[in-house]
Amino acid sequence: MSVAIKANRLTPYMFLAPAGVILVFALLYPIGYMVYASFLDWSPSQRIGQAEFIGFRNYVNLWGDEAFRESFWVTIRFAAIVVTLEMFLGVGLALLLDRNLKGMAVLRTVFILPMMIAPIVVGLMWRYMYHPTVGIFNRTLKSMGFEGVPWLSDSTWSFIAIVIADVWQWTPFIFILALAAMQSLPRSALEAAEIDGASEWQKILLIKLPLMMPVLIVTLLLRLIDAFKVLEVILVLTNGGPGLSTEILALRIFRTAQEFQELGEAAAMSNLLLMLLMALTIGMFAYNRVQEARVARQRAAAEKDDD
Amino acid sequence: MLKYLNSTVSAIAGLALGATAALANPYEEHAGETLVVNFPAHPHFDAVMKVLPEFTKETGIRVEVDQLQYLKMRERQTLELTKNRGDYDLIAYVVFSKADYVYADQLENLARFFMNPKLADPNYDADDLIDGYVANIGVAGGKKGYLPGPTGSLFGLPFGSETSVLGYRKDIFDKHDLKVPESYDELLELACLIPELEPGMGGLASRAASGHHASHAFLLHLAPLGGRIFDDEWKPIVNNAEGVQAAEALKKIVNCGAEGSKTFGFAEAGASFLQGNSAMFLDSTVFAGQVNNPDKSKVVGLVEWAPHPVGVRAGSQTGGFGIGIPKNAQNKDAAFLLMQWLTSKKADKLIAMAGGNPSRYSTHADAEVNEKFPHMSTFGEALKNADPDWRPIIPVWGKINADLGTTLSKIITEDAPVQESLDGVAERTQALMDDAGYYTWTQ
Repeated sequence: MSVAIKANRLTPYMFLAPAGVILVFALLYPIGYMVYASFLDWSPSQRIGQAEFIGFRNYVNLWGDEAFRESFWVTIRFAAIVVTLEMFLGVGLALLLDRNLKGMAVLRTVFILPMMIAPIVVGLMWRYMYHPTVGIFNRTLKSMGFEGVPWLSDSTWSFIAIVIADVWQWTPFIFILALAAMQSLPRSALEAAEIDGASEWQKILLIKLPLMMPVLIVTLLLRLIDAFKVLEVILVLTNGGPGLSTEILALRIFRTAQEFQELGEAAAMSNLLLMLLMALTIGMFAYNRVQEARVARQRAAAEKDDD
Repeated sequence: MLKYLNSTVSAIAGLALGATAALANPYEEHAGETLVVNFPAHPHFDAVMKVLPEFTKETGIRVEVDQLQYLKMRERQTLELTKNRGDYDLIAYVVFSKADYVYADQLENLARFFMNPKLADPNYDADDLIDGYVANIGVAGGKKGYLPGPTGSLFGLPFGSETSVLGYRKDIFDKHDLKVPESYDELLELACLIPELEPGMGGLASRAASGHHASHAFLLHLAPLGGRIFDDEWKPIVNNAEGVQAAEALKKIVNCGAEGSKTFGFAEAGASFLQGNSAMFLDSTVFAGQVNNPDKSKVVGLVEWAPHPVGVRAGSQTGGFGIGIPKNAQNKDAAFLLMQWLTSKKADKLIAMAGGNPSRYSTHADAEVNEKFPHMSTFGEALKNADPDWRPIIPVWGKINADLGTTLSKIITEDAPVQESLDGVAERTQALMDDAGYYTWTQ
């Protein structure tokens, strides 16, 4: 092999190298650091080199830690509920607004406003709205002759309160992606369906949603990952209380590092969260792959039939 | 000859002058140095900022202040103190950082400065410093490791320290002819009587929010009611009769409090009192500065102060800040001079007049200070009962505090059974303490 050919073959790798180096330093190094830290008994007053290596003890401790288990389930429950609600509402809104109405551009911008507000501000805003005496919800309820709701001072209600705030903030994200996906659908398929006399519901269920599915799955995944990591809004709204009823994992990690000064244990929790999210991501992509393969098989079969 | 004599005289005069100058100005050697100090954003330290130029004028030592929000401050210090050469010459620290910093060997023992005749001012009068504060914030290595005792030594000085006092609405108390509560029985009775007398008004504004706030409020009642978190052998006794009584007291106070009080933090409890929605307030002295500020308060001129009510013993909280010199500081001697100056009688009074929390008995009794802040003498009385052991200052406290705080929140909001819940805290605390090695010598 001549030198020129060799050099030619190496060229792409040389161009990739800077990105690779950045990736190693910016991504793999911190993650490696975190994985290593999860095996240490490390307080912030020590340098990492001074921390004692304790093997899997942090993980074993977490296994037996009731508070951790509780916040783990709170997180799962929170993520499942908010993402389901947001998917239904977001896609539903997109279906409703996917038409040429006057002033639609303005309306769309208004719809995505909540997403643009800083999370801390969202938290503060909702906290005032949930306020037992001066908050708008309880004032309205009372003016209509009902009892006020203990929004943030009852464990069930405060969970509902954070779900409402999160749905309010993140439904627009799903809405905007679903709308974009819907508007890029091939018109030919819809027109063909119209000619065949399909009803609106049939068009939605049999054409629009299946064609949007790849985008919706990615959207769902992004939201799910985000929902597992949400911190600021809940930190401001309830700070995890009452009891541990709204203490999601991200908040527990934050407190373990900040309040309890146990960096090792916080790193172990972060690793567990990372593994959980990885499993979800891989599962979702695998499902997508299987779906695509099935569609390809069907298409091949259909093409064969056409022949 | 005359010329010779002249020069001798002037030489002697010069020497004498030099000697007097050296005597009169112990700061001369350090004049021109610049100190970098780390203070929190806090009313006391805002007052200190007004007084600091006086130090520079008097000593020629310049001071650069890095003022941070107090949680941020802790984070920054954690990084700074592990460096080989630190940027900070003097730091303010919250009391529970004492356990971490001293244990990690990051604070200077102050003995070598107080032994140095060139640095230590013989008129400093350390006896005048408030005992409870010095014990709580300054000393480590004595009894239980975090209290004074024959083996303890001094690592910091109280500066911006706080205790608990009872604020009450004079107008409401006068209107219904109520007696200011001196005991816990009276306090609890009044807390629930006031909402009946004044519909819509809460009895005592207390913090109760899940976590640190609930735990803090519980501890405020635990010490006077005779309880402790640990016995002398580190066995958790938070679930004994006194502990249960303190939790029930807290629950009662919150239930008779203003609307929404189950989730009050320090700020919300304070706001409830300032807005006139609660008749009493039992918490840190740092709050007193806001009561007569018309921008923040609707109860200007209506509030009076009394010592923390007594249960089986008198015991108010100790907390707030202290100042110490990091091991990795670069200008330690000058930092000590600043520290000594800031906590001297003169500066303590200047800071108090500017709205800070004094650390000395004499400042609390000072006529001029009392004329401007009439509550100061009451605070001075209350401080004699400041309890340095009202909460343990050990590295694992953060975790115990959080567990206690969330459990209390469940007791308050979900009616969890008190005894059973505290038993759970004791059990988990025991496991934590065992893990941290506190039973190495007793098992």
